[in-house]
Amino acid sequence: MPVRTAKQMKPTLKVTKSRTPNQSTSGVLRVNQSATNTRSVNSSVHRKSFTLAGDSKVLDKGSVQTHKQTVQVFDETGKDVTPQPLYQPEAGALQPKQSKIFTNHDTSGSTLSDFLSTAYQTTNASFAAPFTRSVFGSSSVSRSSQSTMESMNDEIEDPSSKKDISLSLSDVQVRREEIKEQIKEHMLDCMVDCYLTETETIWLLDMPALSVSMDSEEAEVVKGRNMAYQELCKNRLGNDKYMERPMQTFNGAPKAKEVQSDSISMVEKATMATHWDIYDSYVSDGGAGNAADGASPTKLDISTLHRVHSSRPLDRTMSGASAISTASTSSSRIDTEAFVVQGENESDPEDVLHSEKFLQDLLVMERAVLENIYQPKLAAYRQLPILPDPNREQKAGDERDGQDDVSLNPALERLWAFNCELTMGRNVSNMAWNKKNPDLLAVGYGQFDFKDQKSGLVCCWSLKNPTWPERIFHCESGVTALDFSTCSPSQLAVGMHDGSIAIYNVQSTEKTPVIDSSDCAHKHTGPVWQVRWVENEHGPGGEDKRETLISVSADGRISKWFLRKGLDGIDLMKLKRMRSVRKHLGVKERKIEALISRHASGLCFHFHNNDSNIYLVGTEDGLIHKCSCSYNEQFLGTYTAHIGPVYKITWSPLCPDVFLSCSADWTIQLWRQDLFTPILGFTSTHKAVHDIEWSPRWATVFGAVNEGRLEIWDLGSSILDPIIVSMARPGVKLTSLLFATQTDCVLVGDSGGQVSVYKLKNLNAGEGKEVNTLHDIIRSTLASQL
Amino acid sequence: MAEVEETLKRIQAHKGVIGTIVVNAEGIPIRTTLDSSTTVQYAGLLHQLTMKARSTVRDIDPQNDLTFLRIRSKKHEIMVAPDKEYLLIVIQNPSE
Repeated sequence: MPVRTAKQMKPTLKVTKSRTPNQSTSGVLRVNQSATNTRSVNSSVHRKSFTLAGDSKVLDKGSVQTHKQTVQVFDETGKDVTPQPLYQPEAGALQPKQSKIFTNHDTSGSTLSDFLSTAYQTTNASFAAPFTRSVFGSSSVSRSSQSTMESMNDEIEDPSSKKDISLSLSDVQVRREEIKEQIKEHMLDCMVDCYLTETETIWLLDMPALSVSMDSEEAEVVKGRNMAYQELCKNRLGNDKYMERPMQTFNGAPKAKEVQSDSISMVEKATMATHWDIYDSYVSDGGAGNAADGASPTKLDISTLHRVHSSRPLDRTMSGASAISTASTSSSRIDTEAFVVQGENESDPEDVLHSEKFLQDLLVMERAVLENIYQPKLAAYRQLPILPDPNREQKAGDERDGQDDVSLNPALERLWAFNCELTMGRNVSNMAWNKKNPDLLAVGYGQFDFKDQKSGLVCCWSLKNPTWPERIFHCESGVTALDFSTCSPSQLAVGMHDGSIAIYNVQSTEKTPVIDSSDCAHKHTGPVWQVRWVENEHGPGGEDKRETLISVSADGRISKWFLRKGLDGIDLMKLKRMRSVRKHLGVKERKIEALISRHASGLCFHFHNNDSNIYLVGTEDGLIHKCSCSYNEQFLGTYTAHIGPVYKITWSPLCPDVFLSCSADWTIQLWRQDLFTPILGFTSTHKAVHDIEWSPRWATVFGAVNEGRLEIWDLGSSILDPIIVSMARPGVKLTSLLFATQTDCVLVGDSGGQVSVYKLKNLNAGEGKEVNTLHDIIRSTLASQL
Repeated sequence: MAEVEETLKRIQAHKGVIGTIVVNAEGIPIRTTLDSSTTVQYAGLLHQLTMKARSTVRDIDPQNDLTFLRIRSKKHEIMVAPDKEYLLIVIQNPSE
């Protein structure tokens, strides 16, 4: 217990005990006295004494005072500056006894009770206190303690000293009480009277109640107020208004902290969501879930609702709608998925040139460029009105002259020519239109003569590009025959000078034929002069229209080819030489000459348009045989008129019984099927007629090509002369002729490699009645002959 | 590859063709017969126009796509074959 002596508290002060008695007469006073006495030193004792008083129990503080030691305060100089007590009790005042009870009451005096008990019991115990005190005290203190102990010993009932001791022990300071030496032994036996008095009540708050008479005018107000107050008190419990809730929060000490970060750079980015952008995203993602969802009509309905633009009709492609349906059903999936735009890094910009699409684009571009150049010509070809270019500079009188010069005479207008450097110098041997695409033209280049044979060439030209062929096929030997298939329009049969037949597929860009007859055992040994795809309407077994490839060659065989592990052919007919011929020509029968071969060379053939069984064959001898597929030994008939090799036979497309033939004897003959003599013969020049063809539109018109010129004959106008004559370019011979199927244009191939396109103008052959006209002509001619 | 070069040469040799330009997606000229500044100018302007044209076509029908673009002016005709990776431009004077 920390007990500090006065000496310790104030080192400057010397505290001595004095023996001045401190007697108090009454308990209260004593209390006060003791209080006053000890005021200077120990205020806590002061408090203690008051608490004792507050308990309203009379405590004899006199005992406190009796053994209270007077504190004397000396300053540095030694002057006694002890504050005089306010009240000087009379000397010798009786010290009232104090009962034990009160001492026990004091909680703080628990030590006191201990002391008392000890004091009662033994004196040794009481010695403990001064001993304890002496621990802290000085010699003077010990002296005083001894004196107190004496007093304590003297007066057992005097607990004041003990109290003092206890108080002094529990307090910070030690109080010196002056021991009254007047307490003699004789006083111990005296009866001491203790007077208990109650302290006055101390009022802290006094609110006198105000009563109001019921009769007074304020009564109602007061009553109401009382009621209100009662209500308030009642409501107070659960009322939210009266929620009392103390709170205490810990306010953390604020601390300022500075942080520095990189400045956030903001970039604005704008994008536009277009219909196709959304569509692309759907397609790229919805394709995966397509199989799972399927395309049910209900889903389609939902999908149309979900579509961004509802104007899209349902009959658009299903793939698009089903993709959207997957999108609608798995929209959440699409939302969460991120669309990765594939970025292809072309390391080499030249790679662009290698792409397939680039080549295609180039072709399209070339055609577009050429269209600009050839547009008037192509328009004329197509029989479209030629619109003058409004931006074109009006060259002086040029076009107007052309337009004014509208002659009514039939004329040929040269539109353009299919020509390129590859074909220059080559002889055009044959031309054929594609059956499916009438703008596609196949031209075969090959020499007729045996002498100067070059490698052959087949070019497929398109009308859209007259300057470069679409396909180029190089052949080993000269191409002498060409034909496009009807059933499979991309197949092109090519007959060559060495007798082999090849079939090319023009759709692919391969340069090699699909199939070749070079390995065939039955291949022709002479140049194949003509090939044809012939449709068999009644094929074996009643199948659909099938086509067979039939060729005629100089070895005198007409062969039918079919695919069976390669091109294989069987002979339809072997052309035999006929000897008993030429009677009507008036040539004497000569001696039977030694024949080089028993077969006559076939130069051309033509199947009947309606009856695929009957065909005509022209031979090198000038004979035309009518044959049938069913008979491969015998001819059905022979038409004799020509004295030179028959280069071409052609049935009239409009008149079924009439056919034309041309030969090297400068003549063109018009025949009718049933007559074995020609009805009409046409001669105009002294040149061999290489090619003839009927016009597909007019029954009385046909074209003929001899070496020097192109002739258009119109039998309705004149049977003696051609109506249009066009001279060939100097140095070239015209070799082949082809009519355009849908327009009135004619194509002429020459030995220089050019294929010129001519437009027939002002051909006054009437429509429809030409057949009759032809028949009339024939009839009249026959009639005149008879 | 040789075909490509040949075709390009042929196109350039046609009547009235003023220039042929092939640029890749980044605008770098791969083949050109015009001078550098003209090439860059044509390529830049036509690229934007092609984008707009393609956007227009696809907005109307997202399954459609632009294949060819021809601009006819008083003096020339500019033909553009667009693609994702390149731009093929031919300038022709058709009335020559």
